[in-house]
This record gives sequence, C-alpha cells and structure tokens, in this order.
Amino acid sequence: MIDQFLLGLSVVLQPEILMYAFIGVFIGQLIGVLPGIGAITAISLLLPVTFYLDATTSMIMLAGIYYGSQYGGSIASILLNLPGTPSSVVTCLEGYPLAQRGRAGLALFVAACSSFVGGIVGVAILVLAAIPMTIIALRFGAPEYAMLVILGLLAASLIGTGSQIRSFAMVLLGIALGLVGADATTGYYRFVAMPEMADGISLVSLAMGLFGVSEIIRNASRRSPPGPALSITMRDVFPTRAEARSLVLPIVRGSGIGSFFGALPGTGAAIASFMAYAMERRFSRTPEKFGKGHLPGLAAPESANNAAAQTGFIPTLTLGIPGDAVMALIIGALILNGIIPGPRLAVDQPELFWGVIASFFVGNIILLLINIPLIKLWVLLLRVPYQKLYPVIIVMICVGVYSHRTSITDVVLTLAFGVLGYLMKNYRFEPAPVMLGFVLGPLLEDNFRRTMLLYGGDFTIFLTRPISAMLVACSAVLIVLALWSGISAMRKPVHSTP
Amino acid sequence: MQSATQDWPGTTRRALSGGVLLVAGLVMLMICWSYPVGNLTQMGPGYIPRVVGFLICALAVAIIAIDVATPEAAQAGRMHPRGLIFVSTAILLFAGLIDIAGLVPSMFLAVVVSMFADDEARPLPVLIYACLATLGGWLLFLVVLELPIPAFWR
Amino acid sequence: MFKKLLAALPLTLALALPAAAQDTFPDHSLRIVHGFGAGGNADTVSRILAEEMSKGLGQPVVVESRPGAGGTVASGYVTKQDPDGYTMQLMVGGHAVAAALYNQLPYESVDGYTFISTLGQFPFFIAARSGEYESINALIEAAKAAPGTLKIGHSGVGSTQHLTGELLDLRTGAKFIHVPYKGGAAASTALMGGEVDVIIDTGTVIRGQAEAGVYDILAATSENRWPDSPDVPTVSETVSPGFDVVSWTAIGMPAGVPDDIAGRIRGEVHKALELPEVQEKIGDLGAKAGGSSGEELKALIEGQIAVWTDVIDSAGIDKR
Repeated sequence: MIDQFLLGLSVVLQPEILMYAFIGVFIGQLIGVLPGIGAITAISLLLPVTFYLDATTSMIMLAGIYYGSQYGGSIASILLNLPGTPSSVVTCLEGYPLAQRGRAGLALFVAACSSFVGGIVGVAILVLAAIPMTIIALRFGAPEYAMLVILGLLAASLIGTGSQIRSFAMVLLGIALGLVGADATTGYYRFVAMPEMADGISLVSLAMGLFGVSEIIRNASRRSPPGPALSITMRDVFPTRAEARSLVLPIVRGSGIGSFFGALPGTGAAIASFMAYAMERRFSRTPEKFGKGHLPGLAAPESANNAAAQTGFIPTLTLGIPGDAVMALIIGALILNGIIPGPRLAVDQPELFWGVIASFFVGNIILLLINIPLIKLWVLLLRVPYQKLYPVIIVMICVGVYSHRTSITDVVLTLAFGVLGYLMKNYRFEPAPVMLGFVLGPLLEDNFRRTMLLYGGDFTIFLTRPISAMLVACSAVLIVLALWSGISAMRKPVHSTP
Repeated sequence: MQSATQDWPGTTRRALSGGVLLVAGLVMLMICWSYPVGNLTQMGPGYIPRVVGFLICALAVAIIAIDVATPEAAQAGRMHPRGLIFVSTAILLFAGLIDIAGLVPSMFLAVVVSMFADDEARPLPVLIYACLATLGGWLLFLVVLELPIPAFWR
Repeated sequence: MFKKLLAALPLTLALALPAAAQDTFPDHSLRIVHGFGAGGNADTVSRILAEEMSKGLGQPVVVESRPGAGGTVASGYVTKQDPDGYTMQLMVGGHAVAAALYNQLPYESVDGYTFISTLGQFPFFIAARSGEYESINALIEAAKAAPGTLKIGHSGVGSTQHLTGELLDLRTGAKFIHVPYKGGAAASTALMGGEVDVIIDTGTVIRGQAEAGVYDILAATSENRWPDSPDVPTVSETVSPGFDVVSWTAIGMPAGVPDDIAGRIRGEVHKALELPEVQEKIGDLGAKAGGSSGEELKALIEGQIAVWTDVIDSAGIDKR
C-alpha cells in the first residue's frame, strides 16, 4: 500500500496537478469562510471547469474545495459565531467564547493544528484501512444507524452549559423542526405551511439564524463591541506548553472518532464532531470549563470533523457510493469524465485513485501552511468596529441563505430562527442541542421505521445483530454513568454552579 | 426596560420560558393530531410527531416546576428592542425585494436599515458606508462568485 | 471569475464565444430553471445545455436551481413567469409522476407549458447481488413463491423508481416489500449490505457495481433493449409483455410563448444535442440524447401521467 501511495504522490507532485490541488483547497478555504455559501455552492460553480480537465485533476480540485471549506468553516465560527455546517456548530461552542476573550488567534491556531492532525490521521486510515473500513460500513444497516443515533443523542444530552433537562428539551425541539417536510417513509406532508418547506427546513437557515442572526440582534445596539482590543503578537497565537500538552489526548481521541464515523455513508462529520465534544466533556476532570472557551473542547471536534472529511471518501472511492451531497457532486464530475465510479476504480484507475488520496495528504499540508500566516489577518478582522461589521454579515447571511435554494422562504425562516435563538438565549436555553436534534432526528426516524418495515416489527433485531447490540450496550453504559454521577452529585453538598 | 421586567409578578415571570415551550408543544400536538398514527410496527407519519410533542410538553412542565421552585436561577436576560426591530426589518426587506428588485438594491437597503440598529448611527456615514458595502457585495457575489442572481430588476 | 480564470489556465482552452448574429431576440440573458439540488444530474444537464445554447444565442444562459417538493416548486415558479422566451425549465420524468401523485399543484402540468423538446431518455435497470438470481424470471418466481418477503430498495416514496417497482407488482402479480431510501446511492448501499434483495435505479447508480461483478443486472425497464446494454433483457420480453418505463429530460417554457421564439429555442436545443461532445456527456450520465418536437413531448408527458395515475390508484399510494 505504501508503494501505491508513493505512486499517488508522484501523480500529485506534477506541477500542474499540484497547482489545481492548491487552487482547490484555497478556494475551498475562502468560500468556507463566507457564511451560508458552502462547499456545495462552490463545487457546483466550478463543475463546468472540470469539463475541460481530466478526471484526476478535476477530482483533486473538487475534493480540495471540500476539505478546504471545512478549515474555512471553523474560521467564521470562531470569529463571528457563524457555523456554515453542523460540524462547525460545535466549533462555535468553545471557539467563539475564546475569541470574545481576546484569544481568537490562539483559537484559530489550535483549530488549524487539530484540523491538520485530524486530516492526516484520516488520510492514514484511508491508505491503510480503506477496505476493512468499507466492510464495516456495509454492515451498518438500518438497525445499526438507529442505535447509533440514539447513542449520539444520549451522549449529546451532556452538551450545553445549562441544565440537562433544558438541553434535552432543546434536542426535542430540534427533532420537531427536523420533522417539517415530506415524511421519508410515506411522503406525507407534515407541518408544511408552504410548498417551499416540503423538503424540510434548510440546515443553513437554522444554523445561521440560531447562531449568527441572534448574536447580531444581541450586539448590534451595544456600543462597546464584544471583541476587546488586542495586541497580536505571535506569542498570543501559540498555546503555552501546558496548554499544548493538554491538547494531545483530545486530538488523538477526536481523530479516532472522526475517522470512524466519517466512513459511514450519510452520517459523517456532524455526528463525529458532536460525539467527540460530548466525549471530551464526559471524561474531562473539569467539565465546568466547557462552553466558556476551553481548548480541548475546541481541538477534539475540530480534529474529528477533518478526519471525517477524509475518511468520508472511503465509500466514495471504494464503492462509488457518495456519502453525502458533496460527494455526489464529486462523483458526478467523474461520470462526466467518462469514468464510472465503483469497486473497480482502484484497479482500473490506480493513478486516479491513489493520486486523489495522496492529494489529501498534500492538501492538508498546504492548508496548514497557508492558514498559520493568515491567522494574523483574520484576527485583524476583529479590529473592525462591530458597528461596521454586522451590516455586512447580515447581507452575507441573506445572500448565502437565498442562493442556497433560491428561496425567499429560507431567508424569512432564517430571521425567525434568529429571533428564536435570541429569545432562547435570554431564557437560558442553548442553541447547540437544537442543531443536534435537527440533524439526528430525521436519521433516527427514518432508520427506526425502516427497521420496523424490514424486519416486520421485531424489536429483538436490535439485540441479535452484533454491531447493533454493541451500540445498545454502549447506550446502556452511558445511562448508568449519567444516573450514577447524578446520584453522587446529589449526595455532595450542592454549591457548584452549572 | 429591565426594571419593567422585574416588576412582573414573580411566579408568572419565572414560568414564562417553560410556558412558551409548553405552548409550542401543544400547538405541535394540535397540528399533528390529524396525521395518521399507524401502530408500533407500521408507524404512520403522525407517530413520532406525537411522541415528540408529548415529550416536549412533559419537559416544559418540568422546567416550569424547577424555575418556579428556584427563584434565583430564573433571571431573564435583557432585551434589545432596537437590534430586534432593525435587524428584522433589514432581513425582511431583503427577502421582499430580492426577487423583484435584484441583488444590488436589496443589499443596499438591508445595510442601511440594519445600521440603524446602532443607536448612534447618523444618516450620512450610513449612506456612504452602505454604498461601499453594496459595491463590495456586488464584486464578491456577482463578479467573483457569479451567483445566478440578477443585479437589478429584469 | 474563478471559472474564467481557471478555464483560461491551460492555454489550449481559449474559450472565445463566437460573435453570434445579433437578432432582436434574445437581447439579454436567458435562464434555465430546474427543481433539483445544485450539482445533481438535472443541474449538470442544464449546465451542459446552457453552455452550448449561450454560444448559439449570443447571450449568457444562467442555470437557476429552485429545489423543493419533487421539482414542483420550480414548476410553479416557471409557469408563473412571462412567456417571453427568456425563462426555460429543465423538466424530468418526475413531472409526470407529480401530476399523478399530488392532489393539488400550483400549476397546470400540461396546459401550463409551451413544450420545446426532449433532451434525452433513459431506462431503469433492475439489479440484484451477483449470483443471487439467475434471471428476472427467477426473481419474479421467487417473489411469487413467498409473497411479501423479498424487498425492493428505491430512492424515495413517489420517485419514478418506486412507482416502477409498484408497476412491476401490478403487472406480474408478485408482491415485493418496497423500502424507501434517501436517494439511489443509499438504496445501492443497502443492496450491497444485504438489507434489500433488489434495487431499481438508473444506469449511473448500477453500472459501476455491475462492471465490478458486485451486481447482476437482471433487466431493463424499456420496452426494447437499450442500445448501451444490448445483452440485458427487458422486463417486457421476459415477465411482463408491454412493460415500458423510460424516464426523460426535456425543456419547457411557460404557456403562451410566441411560435417564432419557441422555434428559435427549439432550434438551438436541437443544434446543441447534435454536437458529439454533448451527446457523449449526456451518454455518460446514462441517457441517450435525442430531441423532439413540442407535440411529441406533450404526448409523452400525457401518456406517462395516465400510466402513473393508474399505478398510484391501484397500489394504494397516498396522494399528497
């Protein structure tokens, strides 16, 4: 496999291909920073260009846009609380408080480094274990997905700084919002007020509203902006030795979680980063620090979502099955080049297959190299008075949301979620669990109902299939742990504020 | 504003957040009540919404109980009426105009209106800044990204 | 701008637009609206066509995605636009399905349109894991022997794939369980993982797996054998004579476009379809490129609406 990887490197390191790899990650990074305009818009804009490029080059460039935009998404989340993807919602949780405390540079540096490590671990898994991972992924049927989502929801009811009952209520609210639209099993319209809502609420509207717009409403009229004046020396950007040491394990755990979940088609980065965050919080000795700008809480999900972005290519490359909408676009580009993606890709087109994988390796290095010098530039953005910044952000959110589906309804909904997010925060409800419920709710419902349909309503199926049974056991352990810590907390004199 | 909120009868004020959630849950149940429910093995489209609706109501009741019992925790945050009004108007204007008037006028108006959320905004600087921002937006979205949105009305 | 810069990079790709003769029509940009996500097949076909048509018309042709409710949001939007010849819609087979499936649509599925031309047609294929069923006959026999046990994975309730499966039930008397997935890729994963026994989907979803020996293609749904896959028998010649499901893409405009303008557009569409590179790209997407007259397109759509209405009523699928 190392030989083949070297073959791939020899493909990527040709100057022309290297240039397109650079263009891909660079554009991806820039577009990822723009709120609401994600990898899908960028790739579909550039798709016509690939008509003129050969398959390998097209795919390397488009893939670069994809994982480059993951880096870019973290930047907007940390600086402005604008998550473009569900996985960067988790980045907001710790990144934005850090930026508000004047440590934006440090947050960006840690995010870039953990993303890099996550990305490289993901590539390594891709090189060494693509085939075994594929086999595991194929064993994930409807019962396994249903149980996985339940495990995710359980783990994540630990997310949020407020009380657990409040964050669980918000998960349910998210699930309720996820129900809007045509029911996947019967096609029945639920909570559809107008035809534009038939395909459900747009994730971009919800994220931009709950996080971005609500923050603007809160801060627009405030004279002294939240970003304190800061001196930006490189020293502020680097973590201290102790801080760096505290990040090693979170990054390792995050990369591992991300690599695993990324390989499952259809779930990917979102679950991975939420799980990584929940896990850090669960096993942290100082859980009270989370939500206020705690570095391990930033590093773990960042490495997880970038590892997942790389291993997300496993089903795409080994089976020709796109894991999400972006992968479907990339496969579309291959098809237009006359290559039919499928299990024979690695055999028939080794230069393409391994070239693309090697380009991930090179692309991650390029991203790290262009990111670190850019940190100073991004932090300068916070020097712009907030009164000048927020009108521009509003316009960017509006255009981004509108262009996503050319839908006015989506823009109005974004405002509605903005007001909702604002009121929620005023009444101590956290927005992050809403996003989680929104992403995972439909997955749970689909897979649960599909399980019932496939296995004739037999509940024991969850226990007789080995992977599913394992997930049930993990969930049970989590419940026991939560109950136990609840009981022991009650025994202690209550003084610790949440 | 803040003092006004504090003059409310204590219990009502503390029950507000859970109460709104309870209303949301009830409305949800009301809407989905007509959806076919099916049974556990052959779930209809109404099954999960009902379960979720009931759970939301139950948690809302629990939250009300906790908030009423622990007075010191249930402090509502300060309201920002100016931000709320101008930001909302700006976004609604954008939504209303984008299909009729095109991108450039919608962006311009959205910037102008939203800038008045800041109570120290003065007309002339706002106009100048809005022109600059619109120009920047035009360059970014239409020239660089070539988004398929018309710049002006057709 | 990215597009222009990147396209200009290799020097061989100078993309000078030929200076087309300036008629009065068109005097500004045109657009092709479609009802699916950016980057999907509909989007890609639109972009391929838009590029060629803009050369012929001498004006930019912009692709606009207005996804929602199986493409009906876009249809509702397009039929409300001025019939001035500047707004086109890329229509797909789902248009006929929607007419049969929805109780109320915000537009007239046939009378709301000036039909221009088909772009291409494609069949669906029925595939199973390699070695499980010798032929489509064996599959149908197995399904009849144990009614309600074999599972067909399809790409969503109300998709043409789903209705094709229901039609197979109706015509052959077999009884499959129809399991919905989100898109063809998810259904294909389920077939590979052993969760379903058969899938019905397009060549782009199935062919790669078949070439690798993972799937056997049991049959094509078109009445006659498909030119790309002459070895694959049809459902019609084996288990259900007269079975004919072919999906299509086409161009339509709002009703009331003047004949000369509709004719001009039709001419440009046909010209683009004759280009070998366009034929090749549409072929790569699994379809056979081919234009038609407006009347032929209208007849095709009316015929399919009748078939699907029948299937939906007989199979007892809930209307929306």
